[in-house]
Amino acid sequence: MNNNDFDLYKQFVKTTFKMRYKGSILGFFWVLLKPFFMFLILFLIFSHMSGQAAGLTSQQYAVYLLSGLIVYTFFNEGVIWGMGSIMERAGLIVKINFKREIVVVSSLTMALINFVINLLIICIVALVLNVHLLPVSLLYVGLISITLFLALYGVSLFTSLWLVHVRDLQHIMELVLQLLFYASAVFFPVEMIPERYRFIVYYNPVARFIKAVREALIYGKITDIYFVLLCLGLAILVVLLGRLYFNKNIKKIAEYF
Amino acid sequence: MEDNISIKVENLTKSFKIPEHGSAVTLQDRFVNPLKKKKFIKFTALNDLSFEVKKGEFFSVIGPNGAGKSTLLKLISGIYIPESGNVEINGKLVPFLELGVGFNPDLSARENVYLNGVILGLTKKEVDKYIDDIFSFAELTDFADMSIKNFSSGMQVRLAFSIAIKVESDILVLDEVLAVGDGEFQKKCFAYFDEIVGKKTILFVSHGLTSVKKYSNRVLWLKEDKSYEIGDPKEMVEKYSQTF
Repeated sequence: MNNNDFDLYKQFVKTTFKMRYKGSILGFFWVLLKPFFMFLILFLIFSHMSGQAAGLTSQQYAVYLLSGLIVYTFFNEGVIWGMGSIMERAGLIVKINFKREIVVVSSLTMALINFVINLLIICIVALVLNVHLLPVSLLYVGLISITLFLALYGVSLFTSLWLVHVRDLQHIMELVLQLLFYASAVFFPVEMIPERYRFIVYYNPVARFIKAVREALIYGKITDIYFVLLCLGLAILVVLLGRLYFNKNIKKIAEYF
Repeated sequence: MEDNISIKVENLTKSFKIPEHGSAVTLQDRFVNPLKKKKFIKFTALNDLSFEVKKGEFFSVIGPNGAGKSTLLKLISGIYIPESGNVEINGKLVPFLELGVGFNPDLSARENVYLNGVILGLTKKEVDKYIDDIFSFAELTDFADMSIKNFSSGMQVRLAFSIAIKVESDILVLDEVLAVGDGEFQKKCFAYFDEIVGKKTILFVSHGLTSVKKYSNRVLWLKEDKSYEIGDPKEMVEKYSQTF
């Protein structure tokens, strides 16, 4: 990567960031406000019921819900923005030859920035609510975030090109993500699901990531580390394969917009 | 490739498959009508084209719409890949297929200079260094912090051109850049051309036959039937003019 590539990356991130909230009075605060209202609604409706089912105090449920929401949101934004990244820059791609991968990475960086900000908020909330945060938990959450980011990156290297050929993918993916929201036990405890359906959550990696983050943040426990490491390995593999696929197929993409 | 050659195009062929209107292209069509086939029309943009551009040469491409001029430039700029044949480039090539690529109307002029400059291959440091020059050359120093959507199209082009000429390059690929801008701006462009003629290799596509005749060393005339001729500017322009 030369200097210009990195500067280009920074410019893309900066521009997207500025554009996303430009013209709205609250601007950047929407990054915080939208998940906050989502959180508030779910909290008001489910805190009592969920607390009873899983034996969580309402403080703990607050962290429980927040961590579920932000991990899911990161995944959701990463999938959608990563997939749309090449399409979004079509105008540029047909006019000039630059390193196309930058477009994918910079879109995912947007999702990462939101995620990190949200994580900071969780930490603040946890401190205010007297939920103990251990440094090792935070490290573990960091490892999980890196794994998720790499996975999103690897997958986006494929989907960003597929979307150009099959535009329907956008809508299909939105549906899948909506399903995933419910299948990941974001706002209700797993205990509320009848036992014979719990395998859905068990075999869903996003749900397991969310669970690991929760255990770490609420109880300070490192759980499921082998699964996370396995996913990290797989994610790296997908990134490597993705780059091969991407670099091979990106050259023709300008003809298909 | 020999040292004195900047661009070498060998047996270049490019065609596009364009989905036939009404054929089953989208998923919806495929579901609704699974038996209907995906049909394509093959459109040949360039067929077996070969030429060389020497270092420091002002080489122009003329021809009617649809003759393949823009496709040729995109192939040379690396945006398309050849279907068969070769394109070889010797030196750093900067394509101006359009001025102000990536300009974002909602950003300020200053922000756009950074964005566009970096897209064209400058580093941020270089833009830092040139930015005052860019605004003064564009005569837009007082408007640097204005949103670019409030610029007239002429102002935008002036700004874009001023950025473009700051990008260091050996080969310039210019597509119709002179077609825009008022008389004064065009004068500025020509003054710049006078300065760089002979130093940089220029590949120039234009319908402005006067400037083609005036500046070019050689002219490539692409015809609608995919044949082509290369020769002396005066001769080529005259022959081409007789076709309409």
